[in-house]
Amino acid sequence: MEESTTTEESLFKTAWQTLQIPLLAVLTAFLTGAVVMLLSGDNPLVAYWGLLQGALGDLGALSRTLRRATPFIFTGLSVAFAFKAGLFNIGASGQFMIGTICSVAVGINFEGLPGIIHLPLALLAGILGGALWGAIAGWLKVWRGAHEVITTIMLNYVASLFAAWTVFAGGTGGQRPGPLSDPVAAARAISETRHVYDSARIPRILPGILDRVHWGIIIALLVALLIWWLLQKTTWGFEIRTAGKNPHAADYAGMRVGRTIVLSMAVAGGLAGLAGAVETLGLNYKFAPEFTGGAGFEGITIAMLGQLHPLGVVISSFLMGALDAGAAKMQFDSGVSREIIQVVQALVLAFVAAPSIIRSLYRLPEKGKGRVRRLGWG
Amino acid sequence: MRKYTIGLVSVVLLLSLLLSACGGAADDDTFKIGLVTDVGRVNDRSFNQSAWEGVEAAAEALDMPTDIRYIETMDATDYEDNIRQFIQEGYDVIVTVGFALGDVTIRMAQENPDIKFIGVDQFQGEVVPNVAGLIFYEDRAGYLAGVLAANLTESGTIAGVFGTDLVPPVVAFKEGYEAGARAVNPNINIISTYHPGDIGQAFTDPEWGAATAAQAIDQGADVIFGAGGVTGNGALEETATREGLYCIGVDSDQWHTVPGARPCLVSSAMKLITPAVSDLIQMAAAGTFPGGNYFGDAGLAPFHDFAPQIPQALQDELVSIREGLESGAISTGYGQ
Amino acid sequence: MYTWQKVTKFLSRGSVIFTFLLFLLAVIVDQTDMGTVPLRVFVGVSALNFTLRAAVPLMLGAMSGILCERSGIINIGIEGMMLAGAFGAFAVKVQTNAMPLGLSLFLSTLTALLLGGLMAYIHALLSIRYKVDQIIGGTVIIMLAAGLSSYFFNPNWMSVGKFGTIEIPLLSSIPVLGRVLFSNGLITYIALLLVIFLHVMLFHSRWGLRTRAVGEHPRAADTVGINVNRVRYVNTVLGGMVAGLAGAFLVLEAVGQFKEGMTAGRGFIALAAMIFGNWTPVGAFGASILFGYTQALQNELLLAGIVDIPRHFISMLPYVVTIVVVAGIVGRTRPPAAIGKVYESE
Repeated sequence: MEESTTTEESLFKTAWQTLQIPLLAVLTAFLTGAVVMLLSGDNPLVAYWGLLQGALGDLGALSRTLRRATPFIFTGLSVAFAFKAGLFNIGASGQFMIGTICSVAVGINFEGLPGIIHLPLALLAGILGGALWGAIAGWLKVWRGAHEVITTIMLNYVASLFAAWTVFAGGTGGQRPGPLSDPVAAARAISETRHVYDSARIPRILPGILDRVHWGIIIALLVALLIWWLLQKTTWGFEIRTAGKNPHAADYAGMRVGRTIVLSMAVAGGLAGLAGAVETLGLNYKFAPEFTGGAGFEGITIAMLGQLHPLGVVISSFLMGALDAGAAKMQFDSGVSREIIQVVQALVLAFVAAPSIIRSLYRLPEKGKGRVRRLGWG
Repeated sequence: MRKYTIGLVSVVLLLSLLLSACGGAADDDTFKIGLVTDVGRVNDRSFNQSAWEGVEAAAEALDMPTDIRYIETMDATDYEDNIRQFIQEGYDVIVTVGFALGDVTIRMAQENPDIKFIGVDQFQGEVVPNVAGLIFYEDRAGYLAGVLAANLTESGTIAGVFGTDLVPPVVAFKEGYEAGARAVNPNINIISTYHPGDIGQAFTDPEWGAATAAQAIDQGADVIFGAGGVTGNGALEETATREGLYCIGVDSDQWHTVPGARPCLVSSAMKLITPAVSDLIQMAAAGTFPGGNYFGDAGLAPFHDFAPQIPQALQDELVSIREGLESGAISTGYGQ
Repeated sequence: MYTWQKVTKFLSRGSVIFTFLLFLLAVIVDQTDMGTVPLRVFVGVSALNFTLRAAVPLMLGAMSGILCERSGIINIGIEGMMLAGAFGAFAVKVQTNAMPLGLSLFLSTLTALLLGGLMAYIHALLSIRYKVDQIIGGTVIIMLAAGLSSYFFNPNWMSVGKFGTIEIPLLSSIPVLGRVLFSNGLITYIALLLVIFLHVMLFHSRWGLRTRAVGEHPRAADTVGINVNRVRYVNTVLGGMVAGLAGAFLVLEAVGQFKEGMTAGRGFIALAAMIFGNWTPVGAFGASILFGYTQALQNELLLAGIVDIPRHFISMLPYVVTIVVVAGIVGRTRPPAAIGKVYESE
């Protein structure tokens, strides 16, 4: 209860201490990106100005940023949640794909169901699909000691092939089309699903003002709150954090570490699956193989940049969303190839994961231990 | 030391700010043409590049000031945003490349009836006056390639290394190729396969294309049809390293785009995106833009150095088959 | 625990035995009339050639992983180091097109080694000096290599010439074996020799002993005067160079050109091969052959057109096999004890 007596001044100080590393990491990444652009003869200021314009310049740009941030919040939370339990979820993109497939399967069926049932059902299908896919990796770890990094990488490939099969048009040689493929499109050898019914679509927020921004962003914020509550305020959250920090101690204290691992991966998978469901039901309305689970990989950077805290994840998602949203305008205005954004994102991850680089670069006092825990193969 | 580094970087940044001229806004009387790629880069030595070259050719040919730009799509969810970018900037013609952009293109066109849209590989079910779906009879080009291959083979085994069956034009090339070869020799042994990976890898894995071509050659194939972006190019270049084999390229005349394949490249099954895109843009500028489906030219590329090795009888036959395909006298059997 | 080790040892030998059985069968099928279609699909020369070719980048990647991880540094960035090597090899090959082919190839290969090593040095810096979690460090390497190589890649570049086939006299005329093993490009031979060399070095040399000591008991190694972090730096950079060589194989020997993202996940499968081989070079070699073989088989089945199940499921084979071997059959493989842990001398 002593915290309640903290003055505003030191509260500000605490906030600065928490935020300084992520902020300086982002700044340093942008500066380094600028140097790379200068080296290859591009003009970084024109590029970054275009990026800013494209991300926040007008309502259309803002809508774009909000739309891009939505799946990132879920996948960022997915990676962060697993990390809290001591697990590295590289498989968010596969869980995203399975979530997409499951939600679309519900969305294109059950015609005439009222929206109040149809939409939640489709979202739930996405969560369950992703959760199952995540739980496989957790279960393999508990049962066989298979490291989740390897299994989730492989499950990503399997998920993307499986998803492609479900909408496969049949191609040649009279192969049977996939179960979700749209016969009309399949007749022209196009592999995709039908559009989901209106009753399974996520409604838009302020349709006339914000371009295609849907209630998924609100769902994302609520889920972030839920995850925060789950981790900080419940016994189960405590078990997860303990198992993540020190599995042996957790075991010794009589916690069921194995169960915690499987359930944590299921929750992480469910979050990534929900990302896929929300993206599909709110924006794409269909699935085709060219929709990838790319948001899953960005989840890693977002989780680290957000220091594994749900609020941090939300903020980082908006930043990464802005980067992606502005990239097209940047290329349009300056002609700079948008791959530079990928370089900047990699640098953000590097600097935020290595606070001591930032500290020594900006002469900040060295703190005791880094916030990031070590994982390892064992 | 580090302070200096940071200082130096800031100075350089400031200098570049001063040096950078403001990007001049184009006048209203310039004819603005924008291109949105399918997922992939604009210079992919494949259909995105061919379409962009068409835009460049049109800009060259038009007798008015033009402004041409492209946006590369990184993620399929961006198609609409990238098209809107051009709409917002007041572009006159927007080229969208790939069947995957078909739905979005039509929707954007209906919202913006004053802008002309050219959709490469986008079949139009119903005519929207300001959308031209540029499509090709890939199966016919493939059929001709198959006829050529079946006539060239000595081993009786021909092969095809293809991108992915998730993309309709690739399927059309394969079906046409096999139909053409079987029309010459019903008992011919055709071994062909699609890239096993997902759509993101299928066109960008040259080593798989090369290794698969080698595998087919080990099984006795002596003509290899490589159709699938850089993956197919890998198959062509691998075939070129062996003696006495033939390979057939795809999309453009790959004699020019893949010089490494010249030792074996007898021809290419072409779909001429570049001139068709250029023509459509010029029609848009002239006010004679055709809505609905617009059929581009598809056929065989010149034989180049291999011309002396192709008997005149075969060359004549290929010409007459092509006429037969166009008149409907010969059917590839695809899409029916 | 002890029995598990026995099982693992047996299995990693098993994959080597599998390799030899494969060859034996191939000789029989090739030399007799047994070569009906289904048998050729499984053990035809074309399948074996594809197997070796697909396995070379995998075994080089796995050797890269072993070099790093035996000294205690986790390396999931193999994919990135490979890609950096491939890009470097290509960029220099294009610039030196005018030089004699041998010199040009030499310079390009050298660049691949250097760039792979540079990426690994960044990884080592992050891991050792800046104490970054090594899995995240590896992720950074992958993202950085992908971003930078795409940003700097100029698609108008065109390289001319690549490593040709070297037929080894006499040996290359052995049936089957000769065509598969002794008629390859230079980097393939280097890769095969490297497996044996590394295995001998790791288990029978002073360097190998030091490396393993650092990976297992860094504290003990330190007390006997081994500079733990220096060994880790050296091994990681060497590992990066081997991964760079895998990139050089793709560009200079296999394909001849570069394309963004052309490593196409090979670095990840190499990682799985390393684990399947229980961190031993010969075991990882066997695993690479096994994974290469699943890819060959998948292609053979599609080429022969004799299976009626959707190709997507055949395509899943290598990944499912990886999951099964990493989880199901192998069970608990044993990584070096001190892996992923920062070492600070007292």
